[in-house]
Amino acid sequence: MKILAIAIKDLTRSFRSAFAIGMMVVAPLMLTGLIYFAFGSMSSGDVSMTAIKVGVVNADKLPDNSVLNVPIGDNIRSMFFDESVKSWIEASDYADEASVRAAVDKQEIGVAVIIPQNFTERYLSGKKDVQVLIVSDPTLSIGPAVVEDMVTMMVDGVAGGGIAIETIMERLQANGIQPNPTQIPSWIERYTNWYADFQRNLFHHPDKAVLVLVAPAADETKTANPLAQMMGLTMVGQMIFFAFFTGSNSMMSILREDEEGTLARLFTTPTNRTNILIGKFLAVFFTVFLQGMVLMAAGRFAFGIQWGQPASVALAFAAQMIAAVGLGVLLISFVKNTKQGGPVLGGGLTILGMLGGLFTANIPGGMPEAFNVIGNFIPQGWVLKGWRMALDGSAAGDLLIPFFITITMGIVMFAIGAMMFRKRYA
Amino acid sequence: MNAIEVKNLKKSFGDFQAVQDATFSANAGEVLSLLGPNGAGKSTTISMLSGLLTPTGGDASIMGHSVTKEPELAKASLGVVPQDIALYPDLSARENLVFWGKMYGLRGAALKSRVDEVLEIIGLTDRQKDHVGKFSGGMKRRVNIGAALLHKPDVIIMDEPTVGIDPQSRRHILDNVKELNRQGMTVLYTTHYMEEAAELSNHIAIMDKGRVIAYGSHDELIKMVGQETRIDVTLNAEAEKILDAWRATEGVARIDSLDGKITALVDDSNRVLPRLFDAASKHGVRITSVDIQEPNLETVFLHLTGRALRD
Ligand SMILES: Nc1ncnc2c1ncn2[C@@H]1O[C@H](COP(=O)(O)OP(=O)(O)OP(=O)(O)O)[C@@H](O)[C@H]1O
Ligand SMILES: [Mg+2]
Repeated sequence: MKILAIAIKDLTRSFRSAFAIGMMVVAPLMLTGLIYFAFGSMSSGDVSMTAIKVGVVNADKLPDNSVLNVPIGDNIRSMFFDESVKSWIEASDYADEASVRAAVDKQEIGVAVIIPQNFTERYLSGKKDVQVLIVSDPTLSIGPAVVEDMVTMMVDGVAGGGIAIETIMERLQANGIQPNPTQIPSWIERYTNWYADFQRNLFHHPDKAVLVLVAPAADETKTANPLAQMMGLTMVGQMIFFAFFTGSNSMMSILREDEEGTLARLFTTPTNRTNILIGKFLAVFFTVFLQGMVLMAAGRFAFGIQWGQPASVALAFAAQMIAAVGLGVLLISFVKNTKQGGPVLGGGLTILGMLGGLFTANIPGGMPEAFNVIGNFIPQGWVLKGWRMALDGSAAGDLLIPFFITITMGIVMFAIGAMMFRKRYA
Repeated sequence: MNAIEVKNLKKSFGDFQAVQDATFSANAGEVLSLLGPNGAGKSTTISMLSGLLTPTGGDASIMGHSVTKEPELAKASLGVVPQDIALYPDLSARENLVFWGKMYGLRGAALKSRVDEVLEIIGLTDRQKDHVGKFSGGMKRRVNIGAALLHKPDVIIMDEPTVGIDPQSRRHILDNVKELNRQGMTVLYTTHYMEEAAELSNHIAIMDKGRVIAYGSHDELIKMVGQETRIDVTLNAEAEKILDAWRATEGVARIDSLDGKITALVDDSNRVLPRLFDAASKHGVRITSVDIQEPNLETVFLHLTGRALRD
């Protein structure tokens, strides 16, 4: 009874939170919708897309005695000038904010990206009060969203890496190992470079970038509606990503309660601490369940997606829920507070999502072999495999292998996370 | 049986001893105040009583149930009002109370009617549907107290419930405490305001640096210090004119003059003051100011530690 009351209370709070709802259902539907409209208009005639004109102001400087070799601003700028995006992004440099804003006003460019002077310094010091500003022509819809996406992915990735390094350092120190601080700059450096390359390879390669997709050639389509099939994969990628995000984000409510003092208050009531944890786990599970149901229904009605045979869909969906809850519990069990939680979720889940192939699910020809291999070690990768099969119309029996592998991963992650939480709170 | 019994309670955080050998008790139906400056160890003591922290040593019991051996029974007899507001801001006042009631095992019609009662007690029946996040500080404090009353606990612990609020809400809360106590609840009240401790309590435990340095009723504590009322007087004339006459007055234990100000220690200012005025008239001296200082808990704390209660 008390377990259920705790779970219901958590659900009520989630559904009252604009952010949670946004991340649960609005964002995945909107992103899918964007691609749907971009793609839908392309397939109905005009296949060539006009390039997005981007103006970049990069005032970012390397702070004194910085651990980096180049300011983060340079990384952001170079994304837009990279050879690989030439076909669909036309970038030019501007000297200052005023001139680039004027260019937007005169519709000479569609989007302005303004990187402030002390961006690297403020960002690395953890003070996120300085931001990359994106100014766009209000008549455009897709261009600015794509540019924004590129910037956040880059920045989140760098932040995620920073936090990962911090956490590793703490763990090492907690275990009595003194890491050599002179190595840190090279770690950050290596990580940033790796991440920038990774971004470039994945997203900005002409035949891999989401927006330069062309309709699958007629001869390789099996189904009557190629658009619906492509949309199915797009939506699946988004749904999985946001299911994992939702799993972790709802698990974060335990950190929020810890900070709000209500967790301590719960512990003063005659309620078993293990039951309190179970109640919270249950809420995460319910949330991921409801989210999935809403997304599947919306996908069916808004984008005409045929999810597959009911039994196969049930298996794919169950695997997704268990893995999302498992990873959420595990991830959050490592996080100290909600402040740390945001970037860990943003950066960590984005990286896992990429490695699992979620953002490239809809690309014909798939991924380089290396990524398919990496995907085998990542729960998101296995959830995606299950959904691919369901969408292809496979029978439930064929899904058993990905199903069992995913739920095993999910259960192991859950068990470790739950154990850590018990140690911490119960 | 004592409602609260604390015996040699200890808590260390690493090498730091936050609570050292605390021993005190509260009879059923009384108000016991835990008085001490910031960092004295009051919240730590309370956290052990309410099952949040495990004691490093010693034990405590609530209504005869040991907090270490029968925590669930101890908790069921106890309502805790935490020092900081611990409520869900995105739930309404009523939803908060219903939830906390469920955590104390209430349900159904009993829960509903008890929530109605508590809303009445804290004076928020009209605002029950509003989200707590939109409430003023004083209103949040009242819901914070209400959430601890739902299961009609035998014992209620309040950790500095009046910190940082306006005088009116403070009055409301102090009156609430008295009313709850009148209805039979045992109250453990934590504060660093000596006036609150003096007004509310049957017994007071004074804490400092993790130790209970004094325990007793208000009067006992003050007697323990053994001070008499202090009267400061200034005159329109030389102190010498009257000092000898006053020194001979009945009830004056001691009298000194310094820089034109006369300080007397007397056993009962009500009896002694008129005599001082009489003597002054006879000697043609005018008293221009009188300041009476009854001994108080502040003086007791000063006497015990050499420091002021409030820094
Ligand atoms: N979890 C903890 N870890 C380490 N030290 C702690 C912890 N909790 C409390 N302390 C320390 O124990 C001492 C007593 O703290 P406590 O909160 O009990 O004081 P208090 O009397 O309630 O003070 P206040 O009036 O400020 O609320 C303080 O020095 C505090 O810093
Ligand atoms: Mg305190």
